[in-house]
Amino acid sequence: MDPRFRLVGLFVLIFAYSFVSDFRLLGAMLIFTLMLFFISGLPARFIVQKLKLPSLIILVLVLILPFVSGQNTLLDLGFISLKQEGLHASGVIAARFLCIITTVMIVLHTAPLLTHVQAMRAMGLPWIMADMALLTGRYLEVLGCDLGRMQTAMRLRGLNASRPGLYMLRTRAWLCGSLLVRGLERADWVYRAMRLRGYGQNRTATLQFRATALDMAVLSAALLAAGTVMGLEIWFGL
Amino acid sequence: MHIPDGILPLPLTLGGYAACAAAVFFCLHRIKKRPEPAADIPKAALLTSAFFVASLIHIPVPPASVHLMLSGLLGVLLGFFAIPAILIGLFFQAVMFGHGGLTTLGINGVIIGFPAMAAHYIFRFGTRGKHGPKPTATFAFLAGALAIMLSVLLFALLLVTAVPADMGAAVEKTAMLVIIAAHVPLALVEGVITAMTATFLLRVSPRVLHGV
Repeated sequence: MDPRFRLVGLFVLIFAYSFVSDFRLLGAMLIFTLMLFFISGLPARFIVQKLKLPSLIILVLVLILPFVSGQNTLLDLGFISLKQEGLHASGVIAARFLCIITTVMIVLHTAPLLTHVQAMRAMGLPWIMADMALLTGRYLEVLGCDLGRMQTAMRLRGLNASRPGLYMLRTRAWLCGSLLVRGLERADWVYRAMRLRGYGQNRTATLQFRATALDMAVLSAALLAAGTVMGLEIWFGL
Repeated sequence: MHIPDGILPLPLTLGGYAACAAAVFFCLHRIKKRPEPAADIPKAALLTSAFFVASLIHIPVPPASVHLMLSGLLGVLLGFFAIPAILIGLFFQAVMFGHGGLTTLGINGVIIGFPAMAAHYIFRFGTRGKHGPKPTATFAFLAGALAIMLSVLLFALLLVTAVPADMGAAVEKTAMLVIIAAHVPLALVEGVITAMTATFLLRVSPRVLHGV
């Protein structure tokens, strides 16, 4: 599918999801996301792995809000009471988060990341940001390997990584500094190589993408779904 | 210090994108005024990658460990490239690790990017006309620590006031104080690391410290 259409559809859908707070619509959103997940064929373990890190803040909010937010008590346990408004807010946050992050993972992990950056460039992302993003993405792994090698060398020379104090902070700062120096040195070579290949001479964005009727149909369906969700949210809120 | 998807209301997330777009427009306008802006892009991109990778370095702060944000150092070294670099970093983090979010990309850009620019100005104005390790370390510490504290302040303010639930003024105030107090050690560690890295760069490769 054309990545430009993917991105537009994705952003429209996730912003529509972040607008919803009615439980009936949240339920429909969850069912729709589950259907997308099954269609995508991505393994469940992959999504669960991606949910771990951002879930911490969400988990704290979902666990705390039912007890600190609202006026109407649902259950009084003496020292603590479960509030209706807090429970509602917890449900809203958890459902929106699950739907948005799952949709993002499904849409963006079924095509290379750099293709999406090129699609953003084709849609008008400033060339400075597009070029930076493409180079950053390309060199992340290279510098990650550099860091791994430097940390191995430090361990081989007897660094105790768990030792707290100024010694450890200084070692980390020097590690960080060395990584930055290496990065900048590499940038000089990269720029010279890019200049030799004609970088900076012709900056017209080349359109490599071609939309098909299927792309138009899928984008129209996403726009319709987002519009319906937002319309119903306003309708239910009246 | 990234706000995930699903917490903030739609007007705020769109407002975050608008604020970030204005900041990016201003930064790119300043970058394009340079004699050869294309020459600085590989440097800015490679430093962005280096920052992204360096932020994976864990620092043991007993009983747990924290990972560095380095937004102050990023502001010091990248200058007007800092906000575009942070947005790119946040986009990669959101997509690759699910850290942060795409609806909150603009807001997270404001939370981390604006303090990084403040750090840039603190360091540049503080060290103007002064050379040597002492002023470098002092203003790098201030830049690193204040960038984190400003980010924490914005993060706490947005998180506590924009959560779709009424917690009451007293609970909101307590929550904000808890979030801010919990991040003070991180701000100090970041300040020290920024100061040490800046003095290391001053000794080893001063041109890195002059920024992009």
